[in-house]
Amino acid sequence: MANSIQILKKGITENNPVLIQALGMCPALATTTSAINGLGMGVATMSVLVMSNVVISMIRKLVPAKIRIPIFIIIIAGFVTMIDLLMHGFTYELWKTLGIFIPLIVVNCVILGRAEAFASKNPVIPSILDGLGIGIGFLLVLTALGAVREVFGNGTVFGLTLWGDAFNVFVIILPPGAFITLGLMAGLLNWISISRQEAAKLKEKAKKEQTAKKEGQS
Amino acid sequence: MGSYLRSGLILMTFALVVALVLSGVYLLTLDPIAQAELREKLAAIKTILSDDQGLMINESHVPQNMEELDQRIWRSSDDGILYESTEHRGSVASPVYAFDTLDGRKALLITASSIGYGGDVTIIASFLETEGSWQLYRIEILDFSQETPGLGAKISDQTIKSRFSEIPQSGLISGVLVDQDSSSSVGRSEAQIRNAKQRGIILTSDVMTGATITARAVANAINTMTQFLTSEGKVR
Repeated sequence: MANSIQILKKGITENNPVLIQALGMCPALATTTSAINGLGMGVATMSVLVMSNVVISMIRKLVPAKIRIPIFIIIIAGFVTMIDLLMHGFTYELWKTLGIFIPLIVVNCVILGRAEAFASKNPVIPSILDGLGIGIGFLLVLTALGAVREVFGNGTVFGLTLWGDAFNVFVIILPPGAFITLGLMAGLLNWISISRQEAAKLKEKAKKEQTAKKEGQS
Repeated sequence: MGSYLRSGLILMTFALVVALVLSGVYLLTLDPIAQAELREKLAAIKTILSDDQGLMINESHVPQNMEELDQRIWRSSDDGILYESTEHRGSVASPVYAFDTLDGRKALLITASSIGYGGDVTIIASFLETEGSWQLYRIEILDFSQETPGLGAKISDQTIKSRFSEIPQSGLISGVLVDQDSSSSVGRSEAQIRNAKQRGIILTSDVMTGATITARAVANAINTMTQFLTSEGKVR
């Protein structure tokens, strides 16, 4: 159980595909002009990631090593086409807005990366958890990035007006704004991570000093 | 040799299984996709036949399904294309619909496509006849799914679509251009934007930074529609 939680948590924090591994940058930068676009792309990518991880984990013993990559790509492309058709039929507006980036999920290196590094070497349940963890990590970053860009570029979040045109910085909606916002978010995550490591080190040092003190007294 | 053949057979088996599953999903989504596209088209038709006060046609004449829409066909062709323009890299799709407005004017609804950044950009536009002169009244964007989100895909924003509305016949005959492609600059006031439309110049540079190609595709689709109307003897 603890291991399962660890796999899930790793994907969201220390193995975060966008902020730590810098993978899947193309959709992360290009589609996150609004929170709903980020959420939509995140959900689509997470669904493909989980489904492809399940199937690849199930067939991992049947696939000859020499042709594993083309087989993984066929499976991923199949799921992406499926998601594209389903979004076209059931979430038409979002499908139109995300446009070309839905078919391009096929070449998102996060998905092939997890298939090769995890699902092809592990059983189904851990592969589902890995797909979910990495997928949630991807989804959270894309939604946050879209929300920040929408708030500062358009004065709205999920379409709800916050301050209209009053404090808008137009560049945030444009491609340079995506790089700036992503850089700031990656910096923030690094700062939090370094602060926590330093706090842990200080705690450990204090503990050691206390133990040494106790030993000296006795 | 044997191992190559084995690898090829395994790969083919996987491809076949995926293709089989996909064909099932395709058949399942065929109807929802057709319904979603029809809903989109009917909503677009209602929008381009409305002015600020509401519908310009009788409420009961608004088509609610394919059959009712088919009753409004003005021109159609079996191959799905009514007119093609090599000059504007666009085409007018079949059919063209005709409606009568409440004030007795004729409205033609034309669907046309031209090439955008990633593929075709498809629009539907209403043309209104007033005393023998045709004006492009409103447009709706039916397909921009290959345009970049946040840039070209912004073409569906109301602010941008409204820039392509109410283009008089003089502007249509001059040929519609986005302001980036025009040598004369356009001011930002309502009157200046309206005056520029008389010459066929549409101001988009202030609301669509960095995505000229998509706006140009809309202009080209409108020019293709004008050529079609000219070939039909309507715009002279």
